[in-house]
Amino acid sequence: MSEEELVSALKNREKIAVEALYDMYSSSLYGVISRIIIDTATAEDVLQETFVKIWHSFSSYSTDKGRLFTWMVNIARHLAIDKLRSKDFKNQNKNQELENNVTFIDEQRNTVYKPELLGIKDLVQTLKPEQKLILELVYFKGYTHVEAADELGIPLGTIKTRLRMAILQLRKHFN
Amino acid sequence: MEDIKAYIESGILELYVLGDVSPAEKLQVEEMASKHPAIKAELDDIERSMELYAGENAIEPTEHMRDRILNSLVVNLADDANFPTKKSHVKDNVVTLTPPKQNNFYKYAFAACLALLIASVVVIVSISNKLNDANTQLLALNSTNQHFTSTVKYMDHQLSIYRDPSVKFIKLNPTVHAPKTASITVAFNSEKKEVMLDMANVKMPKTDKTHQYQLWAIVDKKPVSLGVFDKTDADSIEMKEMGSVASPQAFAVTLEPRGGSINPTMDEMMVIGNY
Repeated sequence: MSEEELVSALKNREKIAVEALYDMYSSSLYGVISRIIIDTATAEDVLQETFVKIWHSFSSYSTDKGRLFTWMVNIARHLAIDKLRSKDFKNQNKNQELENNVTFIDEQRNTVYKPELLGIKDLVQTLKPEQKLILELVYFKGYTHVEAADELGIPLGTIKTRLRMAILQLRKHFN
Repeated sequence: MEDIKAYIESGILELYVLGDVSPAEKLQVEEMASKHPAIKAELDDIERSMELYAGENAIEPTEHMRDRILNSLVVNLADDANFPTKKSHVKDNVVTLTPPKQNNFYKYAFAACLALLIASVVVIVSISNKLNDANTQLLALNSTNQHFTSTVKYMDHQLSIYRDPSVKFIKLNPTVHAPKTASITVAFNSEKKEVMLDMANVKMPKTDKTHQYQLWAIVDKKPVSLGVFDKTDADSIEMKEMGSVASPQAFAVTLEPRGGSINPTMDEMMVIGNY
């Protein structure tokens, strides 16, 4: 199913589209969410919330505004960052046992690498350390570029440039 | 074109794709993209690469998450459509509901209670009627019993008079003024100084409404009134107690105006007897 077909099926509220949507994007979305939220159970909750929100607010998505994944991943990132900053989650984290954290880490390492992604090592080598860092902070840790600039003590312009360079590297790599 | 190139190089498009722009900036980027195909192409390229990047960092959620999320969306669809992978599973979960057993116990119990109540009321009413009858009979029996008791007491009393050795019976015999058959029996208890008249043995002409017989005792040749009495049709068997006297020599009965007289009317002396 192509992205266009999927979008049109989702617009028509077809149930089959929900399955296709999940199968096509759940791992990518979960990858982003679980980078932001370490706790597996919470990350899974956020993944579910993400799909529910996608399903409910799908009418607000338009192909004119960009790719489906961009829209979805921003929903996922916002939900994850909101959860991370929510009072409940902060309190919950204070009470985490060390043993549990070990388990979280183990589970988090349970990354599935698909065969077509074997080039990842090249990719990692392609990016300069400062490019990886800015991408990590903004894309996976939920920092805004302003916060990242504060965090790293780097001017905003530089942050923007590094981010652009990092993404250009990615583009070059994928092309 | 220089402007567009500068716009692209400003890095705003990357921030837009990362969702790290203000609403105003967002609108601006979308406007620029719709105006300039080059910007649109650049945006699309950035989006694609980020999507691929995310794909490389993908983490497969655990298997149960698929069912969980799809089911939660099905719930949100508000219908009971099932997903293919779940179908057999769902089928197994369908349990044929047997119609609940009709439990008539309470219905019958209620009917039984009602029947019992009605029967009880009937029995209570009938018993109550019988009790009333019995009470009425008991009252009748009681009054009869009292009557007999008083009769027996009276008889005992009468009998005691006859048995009492200190009682003497004096028969008063008719004078010239009375029929030959006339007679009266007077009982005198010398101990108690009581005078009694045996009403069963008053054989005298009947008195009328204006006259009564008066009993006298003759004490020291002077008459002492001992009271009046009637002779009617009604039979009386009582020993009528009259006045008391200490030592009478004789008893006499005269016919006097009703209520009696202070002195006896000697012309109407009917019977007389010596003690």
